[in-house]
Amino acid sequence: MSTQRSPGPTPAADGEWRRLSVRVIWVDLVQSVVSLLPAVVAIAVFQVEVSFGALWPLIAVAAWGVIGAIVDAVRWLFTSYRVSESDIERRTGVFVRRRRSVRRDRIRSVDTSAKLRHRLAGLRVVAIGAGQQTSAGEAAFLLDALTRTDAERLRRELIREGAAAQGAAVQGAAVQGAAVQGAAVQGAAVQRAAVQLTAAERDLADSGRGDESGPAAAASVPPRGSQARGSADTEVFATLRPWWVVYNLFSIWAYLMAAGLLWGAFWLASSFGMNLLDVATSLADWDELGPLGTIVIALVFAGFVGAVGMGVNFLVSYWRFELARVRSSDGSFLRTRRGLLSTREVNRDEARMRGLTISEPLLWRWMGMADTNVITTGLGIWDLNEPTAILPRGPKSVAREVGARVLGVPSPLEVDLPRHPRAALRRRLWWATATAGVVVALVALPVATGAAPVWVLWAALGVWPVCLAAAVVAYRALGHAIVGDYLIVRGGLMSRATSALRRDAVSTIAVRQSILQRRLGLSTVAAMTAAGWSAYEARDVAAPDAVSFAARAAPGLIDEFVDPEPASAAA
Amino acid sequence: MHPLSDDHPSVPSVRLPRLRIERRAIVWWMLRALLRWGLLLAALVVAAVLWEPVRVWLAAPIAGVSAILLAKLLIEPWWRYAVHRWEITEHATYASNGWLVREWRVAPSSRIQTVDAVRGPLEQLLGLSTLRVTTASSYGSIDINGLDRTTAEEAATRLAVVAELSEGDAT
Repeated sequence: MSTQRSPGPTPAADGEWRRLSVRVIWVDLVQSVVSLLPAVVAIAVFQVEVSFGALWPLIAVAAWGVIGAIVDAVRWLFTSYRVSESDIERRTGVFVRRRRSVRRDRIRSVDTSAKLRHRLAGLRVVAIGAGQQTSAGEAAFLLDALTRTDAERLRRELIREGAAAQGAAVQGAAVQGAAVQGAAVQGAAVQRAAVQLTAAERDLADSGRGDESGPAAAASVPPRGSQARGSADTEVFATLRPWWVVYNLFSIWAYLMAAGLLWGAFWLASSFGMNLLDVATSLADWDELGPLGTIVIALVFAGFVGAVGMGVNFLVSYWRFELARVRSSDGSFLRTRRGLLSTREVNRDEARMRGLTISEPLLWRWMGMADTNVITTGLGIWDLNEPTAILPRGPKSVAREVGARVLGVPSPLEVDLPRHPRAALRRRLWWATATAGVVVALVALPVATGAAPVWVLWAALGVWPVCLAAAVVAYRALGHAIVGDYLIVRGGLMSRATSALRRDAVSTIAVRQSILQRRLGLSTVAAMTAAGWSAYEARDVAAPDAVSFAARAAPGLIDEFVDPEPASAAA
Repeated sequence: MHPLSDDHPSVPSVRLPRLRIERRAIVWWMLRALLRWGLLLAALVVAAVLWEPVRVWLAAPIAGVSAILLAKLLIEPWWRYAVHRWEITEHATYASNGWLVREWRVAPSSRIQTVDAVRGPLEQLLGLSTLRVTTASSYGSIDINGLDRTTAEEAATRLAVVAELSEGDAT
């Protein structure tokens, strides 16, 4: 291959290997210095004794920072990428050279994100998602990191967003004030856009095929009133309401966060010669409170610390949150932007979207808490950053309103779903009883032989009503319907999820019946799709309705297998 | 006669897939049960014989595994043979399977991503083959067990041709 020569830092013609931004190295240097600071401060200012025993947490921090920076610099040295007409390629790795290429027509999302250090350096991490298996749990392609203008340009190249995003690009160039570089970048962008447009042979209706100035005007960054145009093509659906923080205070993660915060505080303080345990011991007379009182106070305190931590974390990560639909010449994108220190922008191609899920956690249903996720191909559902979440956890009313605007009016998520047959409740009650029975049977032998106290048996029996109540809740969550182009299924105990899935996205239909379901006259209809959770089930539909629901869920698919004689003939 | 809606003749129902599977599949399911549950049972019995102190605790597992093995040997294969059916038309692949939990699935040819004829060691012994049709959904695949080797290969070739004709990336 003719690309063995060292790649230049400035982008050039198609197929040229490009490097990540050299600023990555500077960030690494700063990170090394910053991670050494606490140790220096502890020694110089607080006169902490210079020994491994006293300083090891700070030494660990410094080592972690410096080693991380060195590894990162080496990674920079050995990583390059290039964009050709059909693919984007990246090669990386020191000992194990890896080369990955992704076909451009398979690219489904281009995300940019930035941690604080990236923002300070004007860098952006670009994650390119293709239709890889969601279970792999990683973006197909990560470029860490490019300069802001490069990232913006790459994003535009890859998803060919039109005028709508230009505002941001103009801003980026202005902030960096690199006029010459900016101009060069634009030139390259124009060139590439022209190649692309001719290659793709579409979207040319208004920009003039083959005419250099036409694509240039459409795809590069001329002033041309792009702000005004941008606002015309951008439809904002939701912005952050600070009181949504209430919905994000309470979570099981609060205690984990509290543990982390308190642990960190303890070690930090001990490095500076303070023992927080002594401080806590002197605050109250714990002996008098007894173990129960101590535990209650500890739980309340930890819960409070955790909730505050969760709240701060929520505000920091969702600050200036905005959900908008961005229209461009070749399609529309759902874009979320958020973040105070680290920013994150995710563009979801609406052509890849298959529907929407609103889920309501059981414990917080009384306060109308809801999570909103899009069902789309190519975005990982297990990703910790939740690229599919188009709204932070918040009030259900907002989720529904946004759902209506995303899916179109009338919103399929607004319809009242009819109750499932009573037999579905009976099936759940049977399972609840069986579960409780197993628990009782498991403790029966130890109790009978005296190995366990008798109250364990009563506690096991107490499981039964809980299971029965859960059965009723699960039954009431059930629902299914066909509304317009969407099929709606609702279900779930701990989290009641209402999903609207586009009917033309259903790739397989399965109808299932267990023995108990056969006796009760129920069937489970599953619609499989490439997006989201892959399978969306309407559980325990009345067996007679199952076939017609399946037939309407995937139009035309099972018609040839439906019995030819009309339904009324047999009646 | 229909397995899924025989109680409700007055509503739309689907007909059975046209083709049955090979009778040899019964032997295959029996051998498979023997290999899985039979070996487990043998291991438990050997442990109970050799190791005096745990014998009391192994009685219940041995009884349970024996019951499962009997069901898997004497009931499951025949039951499955009665249920499993398949059919490939121009537009779709249609198959029914299961025993305690029965299921029928339909996948349109336009969404097919891969078609494989898979043969495990036992299947090779019996000249059988499993036709595996996958769509873009990770749960959407259709497995048709117990086909004759040549039948499965023919079906795979035919499906591959059909799938290639369909456009788009099949998601």
